[in-house]
Amino acid sequence: MNWPQLLITVATIGSIFGVVTLALNLQYARGGMINFGIVAYFAVGAYTYAIITQPPPKGLDQYAFGLDWPWWAGFLLAGIAALGFAALTGWPTLRLRGEYLALTTFAFAEVFHSFLLNERRIGNGTVGLSNVHRPFGDWGPIEEKYVFAGAAALLLIVTLAAFRQLLASPYGRALDAIRDDEVAAQSSGKPSADMRRQVFLISAVPVGLAGAVYAMFTTLAQPSLFTAEVTFVVWIALVLGGERSVYGAMLGAFGLVFFEEVVRALPFETVRSAQIAASVEHIITGVLFIAVLRYQPFDRIQRKVRAST
Amino acid sequence: MESTPTKRGTKMKPTTPRWLRLVAAMLALAVIAAACGNDDDGDGPAAPAEQAAPEATAAAPEATDGATAPEPTEAPDASEGGEPVDEPADRGEVTIGVLVPLTGELGEFGKIVADAIEFGVGEINVAGGTVCGDIRTVVADTGGDPETGIREATNMIESEGAIAILGPTSGIMVALVDLAKREEVVIMSPYAGTITLNELGGDFVYRTVSSDLGDGAASGLWLSTRGYGSVAFMVQNEESTISPAEVARTEVEEAGIDITDFVVYNPGQPSYQAELTSVLASDPDAIFLAGGQESGVTLIKEAVAGGFDGEWLFTADLAVPEIFDAVGAELINDKAFVEFADADPSLPEFISFEERYPGAGAPFAPNSFDMVTLVALSLEASGQCDGAGINSVIRGVSDGGTPVSTFAEGRDALASGDDINYEGASGPLVFDPSGTVSGAYTIQQAQNGEWVNVEFYPASTFVE
Repeated sequence: MNWPQLLITVATIGSIFGVVTLALNLQYARGGMINFGIVAYFAVGAYTYAIITQPPPKGLDQYAFGLDWPWWAGFLLAGIAALGFAALTGWPTLRLRGEYLALTTFAFAEVFHSFLLNERRIGNGTVGLSNVHRPFGDWGPIEEKYVFAGAAALLLIVTLAAFRQLLASPYGRALDAIRDDEVAAQSSGKPSADMRRQVFLISAVPVGLAGAVYAMFTTLAQPSLFTAEVTFVVWIALVLGGERSVYGAMLGAFGLVFFEEVVRALPFETVRSAQIAASVEHIITGVLFIAVLRYQPFDRIQRKVRAST
Repeated sequence: MESTPTKRGTKMKPTTPRWLRLVAAMLALAVIAAACGNDDDGDGPAAPAEQAAPEATAAAPEATDGATAPEPTEAPDASEGGEPVDEPADRGEVTIGVLVPLTGELGEFGKIVADAIEFGVGEINVAGGTVCGDIRTVVADTGGDPETGIREATNMIESEGAIAILGPTSGIMVALVDLAKREEVVIMSPYAGTITLNELGGDFVYRTVSSDLGDGAASGLWLSTRGYGSVAFMVQNEESTISPAEVARTEVEEAGIDITDFVVYNPGQPSYQAELTSVLASDPDAIFLAGGQESGVTLIKEAVAGGFDGEWLFTADLAVPEIFDAVGAELINDKAFVEFADADPSLPEFISFEERYPGAGAPFAPNSFDMVTLVALSLEASGQCDGAGINSVIRGVSDGGTPVSTFAEGRDALASGDDINYEGASGPLVFDPSGTVSGAYTIQQAQNGEWVNVEFYPASTFVE
């Protein structure tokens, strides 16, 4: 098994999905909001980055415009676009709670997915935007893949630091108070509705940025990449890692990607063995999920680390 | 271990060892699976290519000499030379990735493609292997997901040392373009008709099938010449179906046939009654259904239940025998036709392939066999055991020179110092600037629960 390559992939994909899981953690565990449409904000980031950096349409392209701007402009605008989309969708949905909010956000994501599929002038319809700009080349002796993994990890670290800072502040404690007992918090003068909306908006920004990095990684912005499955994967990562801590959310994302990569790292030299592996992978994944949820190893690790410090 | 005496019903036993044991068991399973899947992965990352490369570089100026070195009839057991046991690859070994959908909607096709590649690899290895050694395949399932495709392809290149990746479907080919060029690894598909590759392909990116636009032209020709007065189009909302449908529509319009509806539907619905309502109301002579298997099956059943009694033309996704069980053969027998890119059955290369390989008639099997043969011949011609070597000569191997139709013939011709022109089992393989070949197409009819050839359009039909 090629461990360096495996770890690079885990670092890259784990960091991208780790950012989304952290955002979900902030929304759910601290803001008390169930967002089943997080893939839409991820997609907004990816598409924004692709449209901003894409050259103008030519030949068989059906999208209306590509700005051909530098990658950093696309990256920054991806975060801003996700913020804007969160403002748009948050306004009507955040008055809802619990399962009603979950279903509404899910519906929003499906509407957006359908929009991407059917409106060719924005993202080229089902074809999507391909050959998306991947900005980092080799840095001297450091290969591009390491640079890219480093960039993804940096985004995760910055997001983590920002969220930790936020949650450790009085603002974060006010959020906890609202989550634990909203009526009591309101009676203490905490503007619960405003704060929930703020959390929703703040957390959308890194998701959009992660979407941009994902578009760089896949070099694609295509509706088939942004289905409800992404939402479920992120939720599974959050649940596996334990939603009460930012580190748990991160560990869940990395653990999930690590497991997938370990399975993929096994080389199958015949069609038959690859077919069997494809079938068995789902069974093993299911059993592992059950085992992790039953024994909660990530939670235990965190508790031990906390106890030792 | 203190917990052993207090086995049941106590709170003394710590749970940590139990989950640790579980993890250990999982790891043990993984190790066993690894051992079953591969017997020499201990070589580490990129070992095969790196091993082979110096040998090949040395042979490069005299690639043809190198090509004749292995005994053609000798079993590929790498026993020559008497090297130590811990250096198993005397002649080296060259790895090719087979990246296909073995699960999901295109799983049937992925299996056909992977099997045909496996057959081709067997022939090459039995013939003595390439100048870089025997071909080793690493097979992975994409499930049709581009992200999975990228991760599997990266793994094949970085961990297994694959110098070429064969078999991705359209969406995954597009996703791999950047990786292929960055890593200088050839990617090739026998069925990726996507028009996106018309612009992106050509350098490290090839396909042994024509573009979807060719499928559209063939479908349009069939619909225009069948004598229909009216045709309705039911098109799944995907690039691989919309592109050919648009081309076919233009042909049908130009033939003066009434197009009653052009419905683009989203797949994954439990029912397509809403889309079928206006189509059935117009009562067309035929429906052109450009859709996948999941949506297609439901749609056909619902259309027939709704009173449609005309003929059908399907696109390649439905050109599988399983469709008769899924839909019910009695609903489509004699009324349904299917169009797909296909080999010319009258070509001697195809006939020879058919004699050697029982699955030759399956869609894209000849195209898949041609991919791996082309790669092997390109290794011989370049004498360079990497993707860049293949990329540098692959066009020349299939265009101009002495015609050859098998790897052994090509290798011998190269050894004699000749240029070669590989004439594939799927037909001539002259790559255009986008790395695409011109294609021939077959129309089959559903007869007694199986697909039977009724029309063949050679590539020359569509040459302006």
